[in-house]
Amino acid sequence: MTTAPVHRPQLAADNITLAKGAGRGVGMALIVVGLLAALAVLGMGLSGAAGVTKKHALAVYHTGAMGVLAMALGGLFFTMVFHLTNAGWSATIRRQCENLASFLPFAWLLVLPALVIEIANHGLLFAWLNPAYYHDHALQVKSAFFYLPNHIVDHDTHKVATEPVLPVFFLARALVYGVVWTLLSRRLCALSRAQDASPSVELAAKARFTSSWGMLLFALTTAFASFDWLMSVDFKFFSTMWPVWYFSGAAFSAMALLVLVFARLKAVGKLEGVVTSEHFHDKGKILFSFTVFWAYISFSQYFLIWYGNIPEETAYYYFRTFEGSPWRTLGITLMIGHFIAPFLIVLFRPVKKSPLALGLVALWCLGMHFADIYFVLRPMVDAGTGLPPHIMGHLWVDLAAIVGLFAVLVGFLIVKIPGLSLVAHNDPWIDESLEHRNYV
Amino acid sequence: MASTRLYVTEAGETIHGILAEYATPAALYHAAEKVRDAGYASWDTHSPFPIHGMEDAMGFPRTKLPVLVAVVGLSSAGLGFLMQWWMSLDYPLPVQGKPYDSWQAFVPITFELGILLSAFTALIGMLAMNGLPRHHHPLFRKTRFLASSDDRFFICIEARDAKFDPDRTRALLEESGATSIELVEE
Repeated sequence: MTTAPVHRPQLAADNITLAKGAGRGVGMALIVVGLLAALAVLGMGLSGAAGVTKKHALAVYHTGAMGVLAMALGGLFFTMVFHLTNAGWSATIRRQCENLASFLPFAWLLVLPALVIEIANHGLLFAWLNPAYYHDHALQVKSAFFYLPNHIVDHDTHKVATEPVLPVFFLARALVYGVVWTLLSRRLCALSRAQDASPSVELAAKARFTSSWGMLLFALTTAFASFDWLMSVDFKFFSTMWPVWYFSGAAFSAMALLVLVFARLKAVGKLEGVVTSEHFHDKGKILFSFTVFWAYISFSQYFLIWYGNIPEETAYYYFRTFEGSPWRTLGITLMIGHFIAPFLIVLFRPVKKSPLALGLVALWCLGMHFADIYFVLRPMVDAGTGLPPHIMGHLWVDLAAIVGLFAVLVGFLIVKIPGLSLVAHNDPWIDESLEHRNYV
Repeated sequence: MASTRLYVTEAGETIHGILAEYATPAALYHAAEKVRDAGYASWDTHSPFPIHGMEDAMGFPRTKLPVLVAVVGLSSAGLGFLMQWWMSLDYPLPVQGKPYDSWQAFVPITFELGILLSAFTALIGMLAMNGLPRHHHPLFRKTRFLASSDDRFFICIEARDAKFDPDRTRALLEESGATSIELVEE
C-alpha cells in the first residue's frame, strides 16, 4: 500500500535540500585535519616525542573515540525509538538522527587503533592485558570474560601464564559490536532513503520492525562495549550502573549534537516551517531529561559505592575524589557543568524554543560529555605508576586528540547531510510533524 | 471584574450566564475567538475532547503554576537537606566512620522531598487555581449541556463578567454561529 505523495508548501525542494556537495571541501578538510591531529597524538605517544607518554596519548585518544562513538550510538537510539513509538512530532528530525547513526561504522573504526595498541603493548590503560597482573585473583576470576577460549591460568597445572595471552573473547565481542552497529545503521538509513523515492507505509513498518529487534541488540552491544572499552580500564572495579551511565551520555550528547545540526540548518535558511520552535522545544526537553538522567545514574553509581564501602569499588572513586586530587575539581565541575547548570538553564521554556540559545547550551553540553569520559580515562594514566595523580603538561595533546576526533564526526556530517533530503519527506507521520505544536 | 448588577429571570431566579451551543469544534474555535476579541473575561468553552489551540483562541495567559512549583520544590529540597544536616549533627549516628555531615547520605531524601512537595504543589495548586473540586455547577441543570460530553460544543458567558449584557452578549453569540442559545439560572 502506498499513500499519495504529500504536497506541502514547506516541503518545497529548496527548503528541504542543500545543494549537492555543499560544504564538501570544509567537511573533508575537517575529517583530514581532525584525523591527522588524533593520529599524531597517538604517534607522539608511541614514539615518546615531546615527552608524551603512551598511556597519556592512548587515554586522550580513547576519550575522543568513545565520545564520538557515544554520539553515533545516541543517533541510532533516537532513530529506533522514534520508529518504535510511531512518534509523529519527530518525523522531520529523524533524518538527521539517521545521518548521525550512519557514522557508527567509522566510530567503531576509530576505537580500533586504541585496542590494537593496547594489545600490541600488552596493556597500557587496560592493565588486565599485562602478564604482570595475571597472578591477581580478581583478574583470574574475571579472565574468562576477556580471554576465552584462552586461559591465563592453566587448568591442570594451575600455572599462571607468563607470556601475554590473546584476549579472543574480548576481540570477538568487538567484532560483533561493529557488525551489529553497521548492520542496524545501514539498514535503517537504507529504508529511509528508499522511502524518499517511493512513499510506502510498508517501508516505515519495516523500519519499525527492524527497530524492535534492533533496540535489543543496541542495548546489549552498547552495554558490553561500555564494559569492555571503558570500565575495564580498572579491572578490579565493577558497576552494574556503568552501561546505563554510558547510554545516558550517549543520548545526551547525541541530542546536543542534533540541536546544533538543526540550529545550523535553520541559520542557513533551511527547514522553514518544517523544524519549528516547537520541535526545538521538544529537543530541549529531551536534552533536559537526559541531563537529569545522567545525574541520577552518575549519583546512584557513586552513592551505592560510597555507602557500600567495598575496597575494589571505592578505589575508583577514591582516586578521583580525595582531597587534593586534581580530578576532584573535574568531578565537581561535572556535577555543576553536566547537571546543575544545564538543568537550571534548559528549565526555561524560551531557552528550549530558541535555536540560538539551545544551540549554545548544546555546545557546552558536548564539551561536558567529553569531560565526563575524560574523567573516567584520564586519571588512569597515573594509576599503577605509584605516582600521585597529576595533570601532566601538554594539555594541548588532550585537546588535539579529543577535538580532532570530534572534528572527524562534524566533517562527516557536513559531507553527509547535503547528500539526502534534510527530512524524510515521505514519512507517514510527516503531516503530523509539520503541524506539531506543544499544547501546554 | 464582578458586575455589581444582578440579572434575574422573570421567575425571579438569578442568571448564571448565557449558554450557546455549536455543532463542530471549528465553529466553537472561531466563536471563542470572537468572544475573546469582544473582551470577555468570565467565560468558558466546553467540548467532549481537548481542542488543540483552544487556549490561544480563548486568549488564556500563561499559567503561573510552574513558578509556584519551582519555588516550593527548590525550597522544600533545601529545607529537606537542612533538616537532615541538623538532625545528623544534633543526634549523630556513627556509620562506617563517615563524617556526620556527609552530604552524599542526604541526597536521596533531599531529592524525594523536592519531588514530593513539587507534586503536591502542582496538584493542589492546579485545583485551587481551577476552583476545583466543586460539588455542583449551574450548567449541569441544563439537559442540553449534557451533550458536551458526547458530540456538542458549548460556550458559556457568565453574568458576573463586567462586559455582560443580556442583549448584547446574546447578539454576539448568535452572530458567532451558535445553533442554540439559552439562559442558565444560578
